[in-house]
Order: sequence, then C-alpha cells, then structure tokens
Amino acid sequence: MQINFGGREIALKLVYYGPALSGKTTNLRALHQLTSDQARGRLMTLETRDDRTLFFDMLPVTLRAEVPAGGMALRIKIFTVPGQVLHASTRRLVLQGADGIAFVADSQLSETEHNAASFLDLRRNLSELSLSLRSFPVVIQFNKRDLPQVRPDQELAMLAGRGREPVFKASAVTGQGVLETFFGLLHMTWTKLDAEHGLASMIGIPAAELLPMAARQLGITTDVRELLGASLGGRLDVGHGGRS
Amino acid sequence: MSAPSPEIAVEDLVLADRVRIEDLVDREGLEELCRSFVTLFGIPVRIYSVEGALLADAASEHELCAYVNTLPQGRRACAATVSGVRSQDPGAGGDVARPCFTGAAYRVMAIQYEGRRVGRLIVGPFLPSDVSGPPASLLAVDPALDAERARALLQKVPRAKADTITRIAAHLKAALDLILFSGHKAHVTSQMHLASVRESYRQLEEKTAKLQEAFDRLRELDRLKSSFLATVSHELRTPLTSIIGYSEMLSQGLAGALSPEQQEFVGTIHDKGQQLLSLILGLLDLSKLESGTMRVRMSRIGIEPVLAQVVSTLTPTARKKGVELRMVVEGTLAEVKGDPERLRQVFINLVENALKFTPQAGAVTLRARMVEDAGDGDGEGLVLLSPTRTNLEVRVEDTGIGIPARERPRVFDAFYQVDSSSTREYGGTGLGLSIVKRLVDAHAGTVRIEDNAPQGTVFVVTLPPPAPTAPPEVRSPG
Ligand SMILES: Nc1ncnc2c1ncn2[C@@H]1O[C@H](COP(=O)(O)OP(=O)(O)OP(=O)(O)O)[C@@H](O)[C@H]1O
Ligand SMILES: Nc1nc2c(ncn2[C@@H]2O[C@H](COP(=O)(O)OP(=O)(O)O)[C@@H](O)[C@H]2O)c(=O)[nH]1
Ligand SMILES: [Mg+2]
Ligand SMILES: [Mg+2]
Repeated sequence: MQINFGGREIALKLVYYGPALSGKTTNLRALHQLTSDQARGRLMTLETRDDRTLFFDMLPVTLRAEVPAGGMALRIKIFTVPGQVLHASTRRLVLQGADGIAFVADSQLSETEHNAASFLDLRRNLSELSLSLRSFPVVIQFNKRDLPQVRPDQELAMLAGRGREPVFKASAVTGQGVLETFFGLLHMTWTKLDAEHGLASMIGIPAAELLPMAARQLGITTDVRELLGASLGGRLDVGHGGRS
Repeated sequence: MSAPSPEIAVEDLVLADRVRIEDLVDREGLEELCRSFVTLFGIPVRIYSVEGALLADAASEHELCAYVNTLPQGRRACAATVSGVRSQDPGAGGDVARPCFTGAAYRVMAIQYEGRRVGRLIVGPFLPSDVSGPPASLLAVDPALDAERARALLQKVPRAKADTITRIAAHLKAALDLILFSGHKAHVTSQMHLASVRESYRQLEEKTAKLQEAFDRLRELDRLKSSFLATVSHELRTPLTSIIGYSEMLSQGLAGALSPEQQEFVGTIHDKGQQLLSLILGLLDLSKLESGTMRVRMSRIGIEPVLAQVVSTLTPTARKKGVELRMVVEGTLAEVKGDPERLRQVFINLVENALKFTPQAGAVTLRARMVEDAGDGDGEGLVLLSPTRTNLEVRVEDTGIGIPARERPRVFDAFYQVDSSSTREYGGTGLGLSIVKRLVDAHAGTVRIEDNAPQGTVFVVTLPPPAPTAPPEVRSPG
C-alpha cells in the first residue's frame, strides 16, 4: 500500500497468484468485462504469442469517495503473475508490495500437485520478502468448475471448512465466481488495512461503505453480501489477522 | 561487489508511476495527430503537459488574428487573451470555455489517463455558432481597425457548435488515450523486463558466490590432501631405502654368506621393497603433478634422443620377454617445447606397458613423425592456423591384448586397471597412465588410444610445436 497525501491517493496492490494456466488472466479478463469503465481502466496484458503471461497482467480500478469535499481516491491495481516455473524472478517482483492475494487453483484432479507446488512457491516467495502467509489476506479460488474430473464439491466444502482461507468456486471463462473472488479479496484486504492504518477515515467513508461503494462504481448490481456469501469456509470476517 | 537491491519494487514501476505524456508519446507523432484534426475540422489544437509545457501545436493562424496582430493595440489584446487561455485551468469538470475579444472562443479541457490529469487540450479559436457579427470588443480594440475588413475576416473563422467541439475533443482524447496506453504498456514492459533481468542477475550472483566459496574450499582441501600425500610418501621412502639397501648388502654376502633359503628370503624382501618404492614414487609423482609442484623445465628439444634413450633402457626387458622393440622415425622431426626428463618418463611408461601387455613374439614399435593438426572447432581460421599447427606425433604400437573401447577413457584414472582379475598376472599399480596423462597435459599435448589392427594397442602422444613467434604484445605468457 502506498499513501500519497499530496496526490490525495491511496494505492493498493492485489495479486492473482497460481500455477500456469489455472485461469489468472481469464479472471482479469472476466473482471474487466463484468465491470463498467467508469471506475476501471484498460486491461493491460503482457503476453507471449502463445497466450502465456509473460510478465503480468494488470487491471487498474480507481474508486473515489462519494463525499462532497475531497475524499481520497483509492487506486487498486490488480496483477497476475506469470505461472510458468521459468519466470520465478518476475513472480517475486510482482509479489513485492502486494496487499492481498487471490490464489487461483485449477480444479482438475490432474492439477492437484501443480496447485500445491505453486502454493509452496508463493509461501517461499513471501518469506523471501519477509512476509508470512498467516498475516496476509489470501483467498483461494477453485477455477474451471465447469470441467469434468474436478475436485468434488463436498471435498472442497469440507476442506474449506477446516482451512484458514475463504474458498470460492469459479468458472472464469463464463465469469462465474469471478466477482465473488474479487470482492472476497477486496474485503479481506480492506478490513486488514483499515484496522492497521485507519484507511476508512482517511478516505472519508465509513469502513462498511467501501464494498458497496466499489460495487456501485464498478456498475455491479449484485448485492455485496450475496457476493461474499458465496465463500466456502475460511474466515472471511477475520481479515485483520495482523493484529492478533 | 554491490549486488543490486532486491527492492526494485514493481509498485515503483507500475503502482505509483507518474504517467507523463511527454515520456510515453513520440512528440512528432503527437503533432501529426493534432494536425490531422486541424485538417479535418480547421480548428487549431494544442496539447500541454500538466506542468504547462507545449507538447504539440498544430495551429495555423486565422486571417483575422493575423490582421488584428498588425495593429499595436490589437497585438496587445491578443497576447493577453492567449496567455490567459494558456494558463486557464480546466476546472473540476475538466472543460471550460474561454472567449476572445474578437468574438471567437477557446475551449480548455483536461486530458486524463487512468483517472489522473496528465495534460491539457486547448481547442480554438473557433467561432461559436451564435456569433453573427463582430462584437463591440473587437471593433473597439484599436482605433485603426477597419470594421468592414474585420467583419469579413471574422466570417472566415471556422464556426462550430459547442457540442461539436465537445465531440471533436472527445475523439481526439480517445485517440490520445489509446496512444498513451500503448506507450505506457511498452514502458511498463521494458521496465519489468529490466527488473526481471536484474533480479535474475542478483540470484545468479548469489549462487555464483556460493559456488565459488565451495570451490575454494574444495581446492584448499585438495591442496592439503596433496601435500599430505607428498609428506607421507617422503617419510615412507626414507626407511624403505634403508630396507632395500640393507637387504641388498645381505644378499651380496657383505654380512656373511647366506644359505640358499636365506638368500631367497632376502631376495623377496628386496623385490617387495623395490615394488613398494616404485609405488611410493608413483604416488609422489602423482601428488606432485596434482598439487602443481612438479617442476617441468621447458626448452626447445629434439625428441629423437629422448626416444632413443627409452629404447635402450627397455631393450633388456623386451629381450627377456621375447618381444621385438623398434624405433621408427618418419621424415624429419621438428623441435618441440618440452622437458626431456619428463618426456622420457612418459615414453618409458608407455613402452613398459606395451611390453607388459604384449605376449612373446609380439612387437612394440615407437614411431615418431610430424602430423598436421586437424584443429579444434569448425575450421575457423583454418587457412591461417593450420600452417602453424604441425604437431609431433609419437605412437607406441604393440601387438598385445588391446584395450576395449569402453575402457579407454578410464585407464588414465589413477589406480584403474582393466579387468582386475587378470591384472594380477601383470602386476603394477595402475598409476603409470595417470602420470603419463598429467605430464602430457603439462606439455599442452594430448594422448589417445587407438586400435592396432589386427591386434594390439596404439598410444598416440601429440605434442604441439613451440608457440609461433608472434609480436611480443600478443605472445602468450609462460
Ligand atoms: N599397451 C597396453 N595394452 C593393453 N592394456 C593396457 C596397455 N597399457 C595400459 N593398459 C591397461 O591400462 C591399465 C592402466 O595402465 P597403467 O600404466 O596406468 O597401470 P599399470 O601398468 O597397471 O601399473 P603401473 O604402470 O602403475 O605399474 C593397465 O592395468 C592395463 O589394464
Ligand atoms: N474450462 C475452463 N477453462 C478455463 C477456465 N478458466 C481459464 N480457462 C482456460 O485455461 C487456459 C489458461 O487460462 P489463463 O487465464 O491464460 O491462465 P493463466 O496462466 O493462469 O493466466 C485458457 O485456455 C483458458 O481459456 C474455466 O473456468 N473453465
Ligand atoms: Mg496468464
Ligand atoms: Mg604401467
């Protein structure tokens, strides 16, 4: 997070992490499609010719407090990392300064190990940046639910109930679950940063107002509570782990 | 060494980046874009950076403006208007109109990128559609003004409705936004690329440093091992010399006559002592070679005397075994750079082996000749290099048991002997060839093994000629 008082801006960085081809770029594309261009900018993708993410994708979202006398703007940049093993150094670079992470897993049974390996990679990279997963806002998305041979629903529900991170099911190609994941992540990140830095008063809105405001400015009509309600297990509401 | 800090934070590249039009867009391209709008609509367009620097100016002066500027007070009024427009802030709405005393007008608009103001667009002067004739402010601007002329020229100023201007400007801003985005993307890509390369480099340096450390430690260990070996061999050799010396004296009867049985035992002691000594000497040589403390005295020498000496030394052994030992010199041999003592050691070892592994009635031939170096690589500079690359080749050919191809790379390892079950028959320690290899290496030569059809082995030693005499500054050291 960066606070620029002069420019009246707060910048947040959210990162979509996960193994190669799990659907991170597809999530951003869907998010781009599902939101109005009032608050979000162009999707910047840096891809190789074969559609693999080269460095990262980036989608900027700018929220402005709807208050009469100049609240601050909240600029959110959403990044994806390149999943391929080759790009380890880029992954670490993109991860620097992240405020929250959505881990996009591929639901297919055959990808179980890749998901795990990528998660360990995330943990290693975070610890190299002197960050710990425990105090970090993280949501997990199980993408590609539309495919056959995926991890079964009951299993996910059961494991999610035992795990720490909220879990969202998604099918990013159709956009399903994408907003839920994003709002889950935004909620956790916001809750934690607000608890630590008092962001809400800085921006000039009540803390509980951020998500509805984001939804409004992004042209989303679904109720925010409904979006958050899609999470399985995890502890979506205990986002401020940094304090305990 | 200052490794680049890992804190090449990407947020510096992307998150908080100040997008500046002038950094992302080619100036001339920007002018071109503006000119195309002027051509289309006839209305001047200018682009300013946030700091107020003029970035693109595609304005051509209207005739009215040119005329007004010929009048002293007109020029003053015009300058005041223009500077007012230039410093006009587009306001919270990002779009304000600004009139000119001539009745024409300007529009000053904000250029936004990713929700931030990055510059200003100034459109005008144009004639608002509701202006029908010259206003009083124009007619009164200068006493010398020709009202009729002013009226006529005013009508020539392109007319536009406010919302037409809005549309034109929106179009221009959209085009500009796309250009900014492309430029920004390219900028970010290259920054990211650079950061990734730096990060990889940092990691690589870290690893290299670790490897270097490990390597240094190993080399130190190796040096310790060699010096240990050298010391131990030396300490072993001293008492051994006494054992050999005294057993020799005993067998020569210097301490009184011996019974045949005693003679036999003393003989065994002497032989085994000799064996042990040659083993120790071999180890010593090897460790000296490994630790780099073996002194090799290089000079220009002829190889023939060296080979002749080897043959004469080993002729008795050959005779005893019933193996023919010959030396053949083909053509004239050039000199080589080498240490005659060490080269003698090389060929003694090779010929000893050849004799050892060749059964009775076989033959061992020591053949020397000059050969052209095929060179390494794919013949780069062959035409230049090959004349200087005539090597001396010495072949030790035997008609013995041969060495299977797959064993060939290994026989040069210390202590390695082909087929250990049969080695007992031949004895030896397996040190000879490893010493040969190192000595040949020290001469910058090569040694390889070939078949000797129909049977037997050829050890081929190649020695390079003394370095070609090059101009002093490029002569290789040593
Ligand atoms: N001319 C040859 N013909 C067949 N085999 C050979 C010949 N020269 C060497 N070898 C094989 O290579 C092995 C290694 O040779 P090397 O000279 O290093 O050791 P060695 O002769 O056994 O013992 P040392 O030379 O130490 O007394 C030999 O034991 C033998 O198996
Ligand atoms: N069936 C299915 N395919 C998906 C889904 N999400 C992504 N994909 C496909 O998976 C591939 C990789 O997606 P991409 O977003 O490029 O992966 P990234 O490497 O994580 O950025 C593409 O062919 C996508 O079309 C999904 O929900 N269902
Ligand atoms: Mg991708
Ligand atoms: Mg030998």
